[in-house]
Amino acid sequence: MTGLRRLLAIVLSLGAVAVLIAAPFDLKPYGVYILSLWAVTAIAVIGLNLMIGYAGQVSLAQGAFVGIGAYTTALLTTHGVPWIGALVASGGLSFAIGWLLGYPALRVQHHYLAFVTLAFNTLVGLIFRNEDWLTGGIGGISGIPRPSLLGWSTNPPRSFYLFCFAVLLLVALATWWLIRSPWGRAFVALRENPVRALSLGVDTRRYTLLAFALGSGLGGVAGALYAPLVQFIDPTPFGLGFSLNLLLMVIVGGSGFFLGPFVGTLVAVLLPEWLRFAQGYYLIIYAALVIILLAFCPTGLMGLFGRLTTALRPVPARPAAATLTETVP
Amino acid sequence: MTPGVPKPVLEVRDLHKSFGGIGAVNGVSFEVHEGEILGIIGPNGSGKSTLFNCILGQLRPTAGQVTVDGQSVTGMRPCDLNRLGVSRTFQLLQVFPQLSVRENLLLAGQEHKGTMLSRLFGPRDAGLGGASDRMIEFFRLGPVADQKAGGLSYGQQKLLDAAMAFMGGPRLVLLDEPAGGVNLTMLANLRDRLKAINRERKSTFVVIEHNMEFVMALCTRILVLAEGRVIAMGDPETVRRDPDVIEAYLGH
Repeated sequence: MTGLRRLLAIVLSLGAVAVLIAAPFDLKPYGVYILSLWAVTAIAVIGLNLMIGYAGQVSLAQGAFVGIGAYTTALLTTHGVPWIGALVASGGLSFAIGWLLGYPALRVQHHYLAFVTLAFNTLVGLIFRNEDWLTGGIGGISGIPRPSLLGWSTNPPRSFYLFCFAVLLLVALATWWLIRSPWGRAFVALRENPVRALSLGVDTRRYTLLAFALGSGLGGVAGALYAPLVQFIDPTPFGLGFSLNLLLMVIVGGSGFFLGPFVGTLVAVLLPEWLRFAQGYYLIIYAALVIILLAFCPTGLMGLFGRLTTALRPVPARPAAATLTETVP
Repeated sequence: MTPGVPKPVLEVRDLHKSFGGIGAVNGVSFEVHEGEILGIIGPNGSGKSTLFNCILGQLRPTAGQVTVDGQSVTGMRPCDLNRLGVSRTFQLLQVFPQLSVRENLLLAGQEHKGTMLSRLFGPRDAGLGGASDRMIEFFRLGPVADQKAGGLSYGQQKLLDAAMAFMGGPRLVLLDEPAGGVNLTMLANLRDRLKAINRERKSTFVVIEHNMEFVMALCTRILVLAEGRVIAMGDPETVRRDPDVIEAYLGH
């Protein structure tokens, strides 16, 4: 990346952050709620993108990890544990369970792995529904408090949105660091060619488990924000449909792009609201848009964006590689 | 072992591998000493690649022993074996197409240094910036260093593939058909680079190859496999004239 492009990227990112901080002051409470939902969901989608987009490990269980995080936080905070403790527990528990769920991935891949994780999602849903003594069954858990940080209450919708956004920023920065570190390189190697990676000393077993654990852990972090956002949870939102939706957000945004989750989640959360004028037809329009996007640009919106900027950029003169001649295999 | 006689870098003892009762490798034994370049030749299906995969832990041998520097490595995982200093290339090209040439080289070296924590919190190039620059220069990949590996020509990818095998500073490198599909100019380039590395670093090579001219020019000793057995071993000239070898290659 040239200096000018890097500068432009930094200016644009700071501009986007400023807009997102200022946004709630111009919105009604419902709008602020939608924006908060975007920030929370984006965290789960970042985790899933880490697994699928970078490490190449399919998961249809991210919704279940958001649920595990949400239930953990709901149970702990309604029993007087401070939110920050509940966050650590939610992220930690999801990390540990994600690590265990990674073991099947050492044996099966792709659509087989998708079905393993799908079964796990169903299992977790059944636990939420049937273990009344712990989860309250279909009655759920209500009265989940919003946290106070150093005397600053996040109870008002705008404050809670800013709080969610701050967590999202921290997660985004940590992820940015991770994917640019040697770990990120090892994850990509895992996705592209695990056999070759193994022969180069990359412990593919350890990195596969780490990808699962980190991605699932971020699902748990999202859950720790989701519970105080809605303040009442029951098993319904954490079903397979939610996991599929999170997967859709990764794909629509652009799997394997750092900014993909932000864009994909924005589309999936906001588009249904914008399409309200269409009433009963909105799902049909939404589905049609997704089909068109993926048929013409399987790399998602970030891929589309990349193609457009490449098409608009002047073609640079290529240095001639005279000594390295072409071969015919 | 008598003192004064150097231990072999690689020792293979009576290695067997069968798939569903059909023997692919049937009792192969050989030694490779420091600085040697051993060529392994043989007709298609003679068990060369299976032998490599058994030595390197990609396959578990049915019976037999593999030792590296006197240490038994039979059945060891490829990543652990690699970190002990045994590296390889594959018969088919295996670079990471979405990573740049430089990133491919960094990846190939990063697991040999530091800890999991230093790989997360330490420098992005894992302290291998200089080493990757030297490797790029050595294999003459400078003009394409920052391009994605998937966009390189076949010959350049072959060079990168070989360069990656050397990033960890290995003692022993097993090359599976390095010359396959490479044109004559690039072939001379590759042979020249391999010989230079062998000379400068005293690294030891085992090379599977079909291109006889390449093998004869590169290797100090040649082992001939047929139907999973060693039918001849010796210097290139002796092997070339061996009647068993001529028969195995030309057949009836």
